Amino acid sequence: MSSQEEIRLAGLTVDFDGRFRLTDISWTIEVDQHWLIVGPNGSGKSALAAVLAGEGTHLAGTKSGLPERVALVSYERQAELIEAERRKDDADIIDVVAEGTPVAEVVDAVCQDNQLAQTLVDTLGLRPLMGRAFRKLSTGETRKVMLIRALTGKPDLLVLDEPFDGLDHDSLNWLQGHLRELARSVPMVIVLNRFDECPDFVTHIAYIDNGQLLHRVDRTDERAFAGLHQLLHLKTSDLEVPKADPSISLPPLEQGEPLVRLTKAAIRYHDNTVFENLDWTIEPNQHWQLSGPNGSGKTCLLQLITGDHPQCYVNDIEVFGFQRGSGESIWQIKQYIGYVSTALQWEYRVGTGLRNVIVSGFFDSIGLYSKSTDTQKAIADEWLALLGMTDRADQPFNGLSYGDQRLVLIARAMVKHPPLLILDEPCLGLDDMNRQLVLALIERICTSTETTVLYVNHRVEDHIAGIKNHLTLSAPPS
Amino acid sequence: MAANYFNSLSLREQLAELGKCRFMHLDEFTEGVDALKGKKMVVIGCGAQGLNQGLNLRDSGLDVSYTLRAEAIEQKRQSWKNATENGFIVGTYEELLPTADVVLNLTPDKQHTNVVETIMPMMKQGACLSYSHGFNIVEEGMQIRDDITVIMVAPKCPGSEVRAEYVRGFGVPTLIAVHEDNDPNGEGLALAKAYAVGTGGHKAGVLMSSFIAEVKSDLMGEQTILCGMLQTGSLLCFDKMIEEGIEPGYASKLIQYGWETTTEALKYGGVTNMMDRLSNPAKIRAFDLAEQMKAIMRPLYNKHQDDIMTGRFSSGMMDDWANDDAKLLGWRADTAETAFEKTPAGDVEISEQEYFDNGILMVAMVKAGVELAFETMTAAGIIADSAYYESLHETPLIANTIARKKLYEMNATISDTAEYGCYLYNHACVPLLADFMKEIKSDVIGKGLELSDTGVDNARLIEVNEAIRSHPVERIGAELRGYMADMKRIV
Repeated sequence: MSSQEEIRLAGLTVDFDGRFRLTDISWTIEVDQHWLIVGPNGSGKSALAAVLAGEGTHLAGTKSGLPERVALVSYERQAELIEAERRKDDADIIDVVAEGTPVAEVVDAVCQDNQLAQTLVDTLGLRPLMGRAFRKLSTGETRKVMLIRALTGKPDLLVLDEPFDGLDHDSLNWLQGHLRELARSVPMVIVLNRFDECPDFVTHIAYIDNGQLLHRVDRTDERAFAGLHQLLHLKTSDLEVPKADPSISLPPLEQGEPLVRLTKAAIRYHDNTVFENLDWTIEPNQHWQLSGPNGSGKTCLLQLITGDHPQCYVNDIEVFGFQRGSGESIWQIKQYIGYVSTALQWEYRVGTGLRNVIVSGFFDSIGLYSKSTDTQKAIADEWLALLGMTDRADQPFNGLSYGDQRLVLIARAMVKHPPLLILDEPCLGLDDMNRQLVLALIERICTSTETTVLYVNHRVEDHIAGIKNHLTLSAPPS
Repeated sequence: MAANYFNSLSLREQLAELGKCRFMHLDEFTEGVDALKGKKMVVIGCGAQGLNQGLNLRDSGLDVSYTLRAEAIEQKRQSWKNATENGFIVGTYEELLPTADVVLNLTPDKQHTNVVETIMPMMKQGACLSYSHGFNIVEEGMQIRDDITVIMVAPKCPGSEVRAEYVRGFGVPTLIAVHEDNDPNGEGLALAKAYAVGTGGHKAGVLMSSFIAEVKSDLMGEQTILCGMLQTGSLLCFDKMIEEGIEPGYASKLIQYGWETTTEALKYGGVTNMMDRLSNPAKIRAFDLAEQMKAIMRPLYNKHQDDIMTGRFSSGMMDDWANDDAKLLGWRADTAETAFEKTPAGDVEISEQEYFDNGILMVAMVKAGVELAFETMTAAGIIADSAYYESLHETPLIANTIARKKLYEMNATISDTAEYGCYLYNHACVPLLADFMKEIKSDVIGKGLELSDTGVDNARLIEVNEAIRSHPVERIGAELRGYMADMKRIV
């Protein structure tokens, strides 16, 4: 590989015409590394690639080590080139019909390796088009021209944004083989929508979402690689959130009835009062975030709603049309609620398979003690597919990583499409990757179901889109 | 004091009552808690059983409150705190009992006579009185007013587990019974079933028994194999290992966790499976040792069963109650001073299989105790189902308590009645096995056989296997474990 220095972006914030912004990007591309950039649609993959080619307006941060000749192949570059050709026409004041620049000229303009260029022209089937005006080519054809320019320009850094898009099978094979050769001497950064197209010479993967570079993963780190794979799957898969079991229907709530109404609620022990005089009403489809310092009684408050706190019987609580303490059973209440918390995860120490764990959500049990229907099992399998865990349906739950357990428990909570989903610090104890996996799942649930979400979390950055109501408990009196 | 109820019955009636024990099927509980719906249930006593059963019953939609003696309320004792902090209404006997439809007596055995005599005049006509142990009715002959329905609902687990399993959406195996002499409206069974549903017991399996079968089998089981044998075995095996030069930390650990590990195999596949975990030569050794111990201990098991049947055991214990528990407290103190109790488990790795290989004598003791208890109970007229539950089935549950904190934990978890019986047995069994123990070496406790050749004689092995597998406790066990497996969690 050519002698060069590492490329370093530090705290870089870049604006793209006010339409998009990359925020606080810190990224080091060391010598001998080849990177793949992945992320959901609109996350900033192309923008990040373009920054390496010097595009965008820098608002903050620094970048260093970028080589002089950076070749970028992207749809944006392609559009610019075509636009430039068009402007040439417009600028022409001579009254003749402009033919536009021929393809051969466009190729020659940056070519440093004529022999390679000729091989590429033949291999990519462009020979018959060499005399034609560049702007008259089809999109696929201009794409190939862009690739030839990039590859023959002897770049010091090759940045390819979706290079395999629209290539026929033979061209694709040839290009992949050629890139593998080239990788010995030229560092590459490649943007792809799909992991499975990742060339084998790629050494590192960058994951970007919402204009932020969230993960930088060494390909040899199998756990992180698998996590990234799962994250991308959750963010980009076309799979829908599985439907509820049509054979189970809860008695509907009366029109205008809130899901939860607490009146002057209090939790008191003989030597202290956790909170008192708390009024709270949760209307259907009104998502809430609950916050407060440790000891302010957040979990107690949730347990008053779920019926897990024994003092729910001495408070004025109406949940899902039941006045608590009027002869209802907690199993009637729990039918309406999906619940996820760290404590639940601690309790859920079972060796049963993942499918059974998800099915247990239909019965609100820890472990499965009832016979489940084929429909319920099929729904559980759909959830596993959404989580990207289809091949693990029968693996024991307690053998999963902590983060995967959390995902499965969220699926368990949602499997019955409860009117109320309570997420008590769902990201607690999770590393960054797993946090984002959990948030990605919750976001999908929030946007595609009728479930009202009650979310407890401290971290501002774990905010979930669509939650507009906040209840903050104050610290207990010392 | 009233006469022993059991002794007042004819032999025919005694045998009929002892013969009651039936595993109930889930479809017998379709009425749910309906029989108790809207009824006022008042719990007396707020210890572990009282509190946790009450929490479950309330969560099942039933009306539960607690009554305590006025002093307990005034002094805000622990029982008062337990009940009030959990949001229960707490009142004195006078305040709550006259309107109660069902009174749940969940106080210790020793207090029953006093409590029941106090509350009976306050209870309303046609109410129900529930016990979780039949000692007071059967052994003390407590006479309950004719208009009152008397039932028993006894979850076969510590109170904390009764709650934990309910919260998971399951339950613990539960024994129910109706006192036939006190079922004036014929509603006893319906109430007992609803109560079992309210605590979640129906999901884990309910045994329909009788007060007499429960008391006579429960006392026998807990005194002999369940607690007594494990205590005696722990002390003898530990002292032997020390004598044989085994490192004390290792010896302590092998015993503390060995009961739990070896009886786990018992839970899954009976004595057969536990013995099958041993190598062939070790199995034959364990079999021979168990046969020797059964011959030595049989008179002791018979004596315990006879004393339980005649009421001699209970009158002896009641004498001790009258004597401020002098014997119980003395034995308790002695146990705390034993070398096994005082030697903490060492920080050594012992694999699951090693507990079997180096604990051949312990396996033999469990086999001998289970079979003897079962044989003695059935010979005394107790039906095989009851005898199975009170011997083999509960052994792993008790073994778990020793794994937690040795004999201290076992004796703290079980009832005072069981603890008294356990010490009584131990007191007699240790000297009884003294000569037998003299012949014991570390090959069967502590080190394992360490054979270079593990070959055995075919004919002998077939003979031993046949004897193990054809024991009656194995036959009933296979059947009952089959029922339980149907209901059990799919984990």
